[in-house]
Amino acid sequence: MASSAIKSGALVSLEEIHPSSPFFKQGASLRVTGKLQEYSVETAIAIVIDGNANLKINTQHLRDLSFRVGSLYQFIGELLIQPDNEAILQARVGRNIDGIDLNLYHQSLQLLRQFQADHLSTP
Amino acid sequence: MDHDHRLRLYNTHVKLMAFDLLSLTQTPSHSSSEPISFSRKGTLFSRAETVGTVTSRELKPGKFLKFSVDDGTGCVSCVLWLNHFSSPYFARRSPPDVRLIAEAANRFAVEIRIGVVARVRGRITGYRGAVQITVSDVVVERDPNAETLHWLQCISLARKCYDVGTPNK
Repeated sequence: MASSAIKSGALVSLEEIHPSSPFFKQGASLRVTGKLQEYSVETAIAIVIDGNANLKINTQHLRDLSFRVGSLYQFIGELLIQPDNEAILQARVGRNIDGIDLNLYHQSLQLLRQFQADHLSTP
Repeated sequence: MDHDHRLRLYNTHVKLMAFDLLSLTQTPSHSSSEPISFSRKGTLFSRAETVGTVTSRELKPGKFLKFSVDDGTGCVSCVLWLNHFSSPYFARRSPPDVRLIAEAANRFAVEIRIGVVARVRGRITGYRGAVQITVSDVVVERDPNAETLHWLQCISLARKCYDVGTPNK
């Protein structure tokens, strides 16, 4: 297995995944966080929500993960953009994150992005 | 004074985000017995701690476990050596010590599974031009806030400690 083939999942919020966003690219590796609204055992498709945004997640490759509606999950995977411009995340990693402080998570994400931007501008 | 300043963070496990860790520059060593070090803004590091999701795993039993830790800003390659009983590096040490180290490494190897969040500590090493961590310790983090707290610690430490006193361009 070539470890260089595994890309890092960029930290994004669900509301940032829309056609005019820089994250909305075919095959983009993303890490998303949301509450499970719906799950279908037949199709292995989960729908997660965060605020007003939602995203479909293809969970067919995930093992050892039980899906409970209402629980919080985090997935890392690649974005598949379908012909009708609807995006679905092909998850390769997933975990239940019940107990996470989402406010702290979102605020810290903004701080982290600023920190990364500062680091890039002052080598 | 300059020399001491450059070494003040040597041998402590610096907390760095992956994008920062992977951009460290390996300093040339003048002899094979000189330890490898990596520099960041004029300061030398030898050890690091990373926290993230294990996204790949390659086991060669009795030899090593290679895995990668994704913290959202990059993937850090880690190598956990499992060759304690056949490697000349460990032959010099007392057998009971080697057994303890080997048992710990084997426990870590079992715990490192794709999808878990792990806190990994070890020496910063280079392999084929890329920075990697040669693992000494692993803790699987079950608290979902552990990664968030690690980001905040990395940011705080960089601002208050790692970047302090570094020359400005």
